[in-house]
Amino acid sequence: MATSSQSTDWQGRYYHIDQVLDKPGPRTDPGFLAGDGVKDFLRNQAKILVIGAGGLGCEILANLALTGFKDIHVIDMDTIDISNLNRQFLFRPKDVGKPKATVAAEFIMNRVPGVTVTPYFGKIQDKDDDYYMQFNLVICGLDSVEARRWMNATLVNLVDPENPESLKPLIDGGTEGFKGQARVILPTITSCYECSLDMLNKPTAFPICTIANTPRLPEHCIEWASVLEWPRVQGDKKLDTDDPEHIGWLYTIASARANDFNIEGVTWSLTQGVVKNIIPAIASTNAIISAACCNEAFKIATSSAAYLNNYFMLIGTDGVYSYTFEHEKRDDCPVCGGESLELSISSDFTVEQLIELLVEKQDIQIKKPSLSTPTSQLYLQAPPQLEEATRPNLTKRVSELVPPEGEVTVTASTLPFSLSLRISYT
Amino acid sequence: MADSQDIQTATTSIVTDAQPDSKTRRYDRQLRLWAASGQSALEDAHILVISGTATSTSILKNLVLPGIGKFTILDHAKVTPEDAGNNFFLEGPSSVGKSRAEEAVRLLGELNESVIGTADTSNVEELLEKNPAYFSSFTVVIVHNLEPKLLDKLSTFLWSDDSLPPLFVIRSAGFLAEFYIQFHEHTIIESHSETAPSLRIDKAFPALLEYSLSLDFTKMDPTDHGHIPYVIILVRALEDWKNSHQGKPPQTYAEKKEFKAGVLAMKIKADEENFDEAESQAYRCWADTGVPSDIAALFQDPQLAALKPASPPFYHLLSALQKFTLEPPHTLPLTSTLPDMKASTNSYIHLQKLYKTRAEEEKTHFKSFLTVPIDDALVDSFVKNAHGLKILRGKKWGALDADPTSLGNALTSSPKQTAIHLSLSALSSLNVKQPGIAPTIEALTTEAQALLPAGNALPDDFPDAVGEIARAPTADLPNTAALLGGLVAQEVIKVITKQYVPIASCCTIDLVETWTGVI
Ligand SMILES: [Zn+2]
Repeated sequence: MATSSQSTDWQGRYYHIDQVLDKPGPRTDPGFLAGDGVKDFLRNQAKILVIGAGGLGCEILANLALTGFKDIHVIDMDTIDISNLNRQFLFRPKDVGKPKATVAAEFIMNRVPGVTVTPYFGKIQDKDDDYYMQFNLVICGLDSVEARRWMNATLVNLVDPENPESLKPLIDGGTEGFKGQARVILPTITSCYECSLDMLNKPTAFPICTIANTPRLPEHCIEWASVLEWPRVQGDKKLDTDDPEHIGWLYTIASARANDFNIEGVTWSLTQGVVKNIIPAIASTNAIISAACCNEAFKIATSSAAYLNNYFMLIGTDGVYSYTFEHEKRDDCPVCGGESLELSISSDFTVEQLIELLVEKQDIQIKKPSLSTPTSQLYLQAPPQLEEATRPNLTKRVSELVPPEGEVTVTASTLPFSLSLRISYT
Repeated sequence: MADSQDIQTATTSIVTDAQPDSKTRRYDRQLRLWAASGQSALEDAHILVISGTATSTSILKNLVLPGIGKFTILDHAKVTPEDAGNNFFLEGPSSVGKSRAEEAVRLLGELNESVIGTADTSNVEELLEKNPAYFSSFTVVIVHNLEPKLLDKLSTFLWSDDSLPPLFVIRSAGFLAEFYIQFHEHTIIESHSETAPSLRIDKAFPALLEYSLSLDFTKMDPTDHGHIPYVIILVRALEDWKNSHQGKPPQTYAEKKEFKAGVLAMKIKADEENFDEAESQAYRCWADTGVPSDIAALFQDPQLAALKPASPPFYHLLSALQKFTLEPPHTLPLTSTLPDMKASTNSYIHLQKLYKTRAEEEKTHFKSFLTVPIDDALVDSFVKNAHGLKILRGKKWGALDADPTSLGNALTSSPKQTAIHLSLSALSSLNVKQPGIAPTIEALTTEAQALLPAGNALPDDFPDAVGEIARAPTADLPNTAALLGGLVAQEVIKVITKQYVPIASCCTIDLVETWTGVI
């Protein structure tokens, strides 16, 4: 590996990069060892994992390869869609339908000599701790909150205080339109992804009674078509939001309803936007955020400059506005905090209401939570027998089942951690 | 089930028609930001980039992908081994020795078949000397690390007439960078402002007031009562309040509190969310709707005083807007966009109709102030976006360094940013004086000090900046290049589409501490 990569290096290849590796800058940590040692680590030893080969992932892979990382791994479970081509620049129309990770890896290896990119076409959840343990750094370029929470929790859980190698810096990027953010997470040391969950925009949710009885917006008609009419008419057939025929059906149904109620504005594009929860995405914003992420990876791997502490936010809609700050670790963070989260509820609250609260609460957002106390199960979503057995609890008051200051453990199959709540009553 | 399938079969043809074509599907994620109008502006644009550096190709990548019409790379250099190591749009050693412009155009062209790329291997210096008109045929001109003598010539030429293209100047070294947009004037209708226009609850238009008074809240069916839109509730509550308070809205804190309590007291059932909404929106009753101060400031623009038939449509529209606001109720034309609120379908649609009708009437009235014919779609867009209009005025490249007062102000107000700017300026001028010699911190500092007006000291942050420049004076780092590529492309898109708001100053970037800041 080391020899093969060196043989592809040519005189002058790292002329630009070497300027910052051969000398420290005024703010460089005194521990930085300029010269061959750091270059050898970067080019022959560092192993980096990229999560996502989409809008951010394509950019990240290209930047890492150019800055001298030679052993790069990438995971992505998606295949290429035509709507990716306005920004995912490693893909061409002929690649539509192929796995992103594989196509991206091949492209990088063809373009940048001596770099090995190992693709995995699948889910991050397929991989175990041993797999994640082999990397020095992880960069996440994902559009899914669930996947990020999983990755974050996995890397926090991986930390073994006895083994410094087990601490894998996680660099996370995200964009929406002209806006984006990049951050550095040192699992267990700095604020983690879960710590900042309340910073996410609240997803727009339309109450079912509005959708069913008092639609006012075109979005309400579209939700009616997808949430109520699709299961009613199509039965068990699963709605595939990537299938134009399915979108077409929803569009037709939504248009008819809008027409009945004199509501204007149902279009194909809006239908698709609502049912797929489409977030606008452009190449330029992805370039900014990916560059910021890769720059942090480069600085961490080489110590050539201090890394970001710990959050960079950019807004490009009105001029260029950015904000760099230290996001604080939460002591009651369910992933890295250690303390239970205090939750005060009414003594009339039922278990079902508590579940609703957990789903909606901005700093928790757990879909389909299962609840238990140290001595009993309050409600379990699965398996079916246990769900059935615990279902009667849903309508009971929490205060009948949990003493004041009692502990409730919340788990969900999508998350590799449990949340500990301390319940008090008002 | 059978019924619905009939609908499905009956409407298959409509569905097929509605499904977007492949171009729309390809650009879907960006059309949601700048719509078809922005896209067609991009497709009409021709961009010139001088030099094929890593930064230059990074910028172009982000413009070719969204489908810019044409681009030209002007670069007479051949690919060096150093170029081949840091530029993704060169093919490693196999590109070495070939024309840098041609290689970059070929590889960038692969990103989007509908974009036309041209490699021009002419010499910039010769073009500036013999045929400066060459530069006038582009939509925007972008330069990266162009040597000061040529940059001076180019910027002077492009500044000589306000019909000439804007110039994007980018300078970078190692972890530090800056960029500047030279333009005379940039007017924006679709700024995509995040502030919502006023619903004018405090100044209810006649049909709205009449409707709210026509409802007998007390005799209403309970379901209907729970679905009166908050706008109607507030208009009614405010009118009642004014009738018992000498025509004045709630003014003191105590009055506002009393008003809110009164709104909640109108409930006939505790769970009427529409009244809760009305209470939380009650501030709209005393937030006096007038002309927002930033829009009023536009009325002082010198272009308005000097309005002539040949003035750009924007100023004719702005002049009409000013005249419109001089009449009661002294507001911008009414918005026709209603936010969602707790309401029944019928009451919401009715309210929406009231707003739409009134907005249409006000638009017609607005049009009566226009003294030249203007395209209807433009008038519509102007009226709809009146609360977010912008006029940006730029300066010539180099204006900051040439003006002791602004430079002095910049040193005080943004020392870190100015330290980067001065360090990069010092690097440029030193490269002219001592070409090929690695600049020392001392030489750069002397050079920077000389740029300052007498009596001004270099900012405390200067050593941090200049040290980085001395460390990597000729480094076009891939990450810095990629970040600049994104930032500059965003600005180019904003300038070309005339949507969103570009910077009107100098933006500096520090990738040691990871921040950006404008001077
Ligand atoms: Zn945490």
